Amino acid sequence: MVQATTARPRTHVLSRLTSAAWFVFPFLVLLAVWVIVLDVFEIPERTFPAASSVWDAAVAMTLDGTLVAHLVASLQRVVVGVGLAIATGIPFGLLMGLNRAVATFFAPLLRFSVALAGIAWIPLATLWFGYGEGAVTFIIWNSVFFAVVYNTTLGVGQISEDLKRAAATLGSGRVRLLTEVLLPGALPSIVTGLRVGMGYGWRGLIAAEIIATNLGLGYALFLAQKYFETDVIILSMILIGLIWLLTDRLLLAPLERRTVRRWGMQQGVE
Amino acid sequence: MATDTVEERGSATVPWTRRTASALTRSKTVRTFGPFLPFVLLWWVVAETGMFPSAFFVGPDVVIAKFGELLRTGVLTGYLWDSTVRLAVGAAWGLAIGLPLGFLIALSHRARRFAWPLLLFFQAVGDIAWLPILIIWFGFSLTSVTFVIVYTVVFPLMVSIVAGIDAIPRDMLRAARTLGAGRRNILLEVVLPGSLPAIASGIRTGLGYGWRALIAAEIIVGTSGIGFMMFDARRAGQVTEVFVGMIILGVLWYLTDALLLSPMERETVERWGMVRKPGGPR
Amino acid sequence: MSVLEIRSLNKVYVDDYTGEEVPAIGDVSFSVEQGEFVSILGPSGCGKTTVLNIIAGFIDPTGGEVLLNGEAISGPGPDRGVVFQSFALFPWKTVLGNLTFGLKMRRIPRREREEIAAEYLELVGLSGFERRYPHELSGGMQQRLGVARVLAIEPSVMLMDEPFASVDAQTRMKLQEDLTRIWQDRRPTIFFVTHDVDEAVFLSDRVIVLSQGPSRVREIVEVDIPRPRRWDELIEDPVFRRTSHRIIELLSAPADVEDRSDAATP
Repeated sequence: MVQATTARPRTHVLSRLTSAAWFVFPFLVLLAVWVIVLDVFEIPERTFPAASSVWDAAVAMTLDGTLVAHLVASLQRVVVGVGLAIATGIPFGLLMGLNRAVATFFAPLLRFSVALAGIAWIPLATLWFGYGEGAVTFIIWNSVFFAVVYNTTLGVGQISEDLKRAAATLGSGRVRLLTEVLLPGALPSIVTGLRVGMGYGWRGLIAAEIIATNLGLGYALFLAQKYFETDVIILSMILIGLIWLLTDRLLLAPLERRTVRRWGMQQGVE
Repeated sequence: MATDTVEERGSATVPWTRRTASALTRSKTVRTFGPFLPFVLLWWVVAETGMFPSAFFVGPDVVIAKFGELLRTGVLTGYLWDSTVRLAVGAAWGLAIGLPLGFLIALSHRARRFAWPLLLFFQAVGDIAWLPILIIWFGFSLTSVTFVIVYTVVFPLMVSIVAGIDAIPRDMLRAARTLGAGRRNILLEVVLPGSLPAIASGIRTGLGYGWRALIAAEIIVGTSGIGFMMFDARRAGQVTEVFVGMIILGVLWYLTDALLLSPMERETVERWGMVRKPGGPR
Repeated sequence: MSVLEIRSLNKVYVDDYTGEEVPAIGDVSFSVEQGEFVSILGPSGCGKTTVLNIIAGFIDPTGGEVLLNGEAISGPGPDRGVVFQSFALFPWKTVLGNLTFGLKMRRIPRREREEIAAEYLELVGLSGFERRYPHELSGGMQQRLGVARVLAIEPSVMLMDEPFASVDAQTRMKLQEDLTRIWQDRRPTIFFVTHDVDEAVFLSDRVIVLSQGPSRVREIVEVDIPRPRRWDELIEDPVFRRTSHRIIELLSAPADVEDRSDAATP
């Protein structure tokens, strides 16, 4: 058992390294398949670019600054849209969770809108705000807003009556009840809503950028398709996948875990 | 509201107004569509006041008239049919591919280790981002649209199946083994039924994404369908048709949910009492 | 020959993540005879459920052996049916479906299965509930089904893992009385894990008392109370009180020096 204590830190690091290697390995295989298949079947660049061309495109676009411009434009829209959605969605959701009349009135609209949220609004959004920043931000706001409202309402509804009573007997007033019980109680559900909504929002962003702007990753895709630049298309796709994977895994999933799991409010699905 | 107590007793002295009211609230149609009435009313009032210019915002009366017109000319039914068929075909392919693959990844340790990172990545790339390369490969065709829908359905379905199988309680698998079940029987009698609720929710999520992808694909590929109709109208600046399109999309999703997805969940999850009670410990 | 024989069982868990070794069972030996009702009892964290899981074949021991009818066990099997604390009924199967599951695995024809099922449903008082789903039953009824499901496959030994820990106190007493009645009627061999002293004394012929983990057998207490046993009679019974008291003493007395050194060097 003495040996066990000395072996502990090494196994720890080792197991982490192994799991990281296992995560990267499939992508290396994929890369190998990509290179080999293109070579063996002599697939033309116009159909599918060589891995090296995608790399060259990445370098070229980084050097002339277009890649950064597209990235910044897309991320900026996400931040603004999601920020607006959180700022408007949580209060509205709390209101619906607390007031029956408001809830009854808006419930059907909400069900209707959750089903529609995001992409389906593109025609109307471009009509109202014109092609450009406004419409795209609206699409992201819209995707996230309804998911946040819906889940906040759900979260407030799930807080047990006993918890509210406990707070009341411990002397909390209305405002305290809101900040100390309702908001933290609904938080796991809100975070889940945010994660779902951002999933829709990210897709909505790409669609909206393809249709309605002249900057951003979606637009880069659109432009490249027009000129048959498959290398830029594949590059953009990889970036889109990477950004969302990183956002979801490094930001949203840990956030959800921290609230849902830590408080033992088991429901999260990894 | 004093009549409330009378009504609860259900005596014959209840005035007819209350009786019709309670009959109405019991009617399924009224319960489904009733809640929309105040909203439609508000919509109509807002439109009538002329708060927003009619080029951007029209009232329900105008929308209904347009709806009738589109129905008469047959444009709407044609587009509706196109969209529905695309979604159905895409979903069917998605199921055919996603179900076996999902089970393979969930059950085989090796397959899981290899495929899980790829699965996460390709799910993250997202359906819409595939459209440009698809258009290069297949042109502005039905194949491109169908591919996108299949793609959107497959990934959430696989992820749900894996999560669902992982969520089967360990004791349940152990119980099956101590009762003498072998690998095949554990799969057929425990894993398969145990993962049905997850499959149901996977299909629901998949269709939710697929539905949106279809709209985007129809707008971008643009040959026919409800999405095409809406964007075509938008280009011509005809707000009414955009409104009609959105309402149709909402109603269609509502119907899909009520006629297909909810019964599916009722037959499995609810019947077996597997509904996760929200908030409470299990 | 004993039905079940446990020799120098030892279990050390290795934490997958940190690589830390956690000793759970120090050195445990005992045996269970044909038709005997034996309980195992110990302070929380002493690894009594681990002992059951090893016998069931769910986990492998680090050292020692488990012999069933003289042969070493390998993996879980229908010769050692388990009744779980969580019931572990299949929610998608009816009462009948759950009860006949083990028989179906043995490829017994449907008609025969249903005849056997009827007998066991009668035995546990669930006749008339054949078509219900588990979630439509009360907790007590669910666990009766859990017991009947294992009895129906007639295992060499029935393993019960704190089976009545998740039902209310009154239902628990009823279930305990029913279990002794069934045991007298059928005489299955039962190995019962519990943390409830009175439950162990009430049900068993012998009670194995474990020490604090890494555990050893502290003492095996014989319960010399005639059957049939009923709570209303036993609650005042001097032998029952004395036996319970003895076990509580064993559980609460601090492990002596000899105990400790033994546990540290298995």
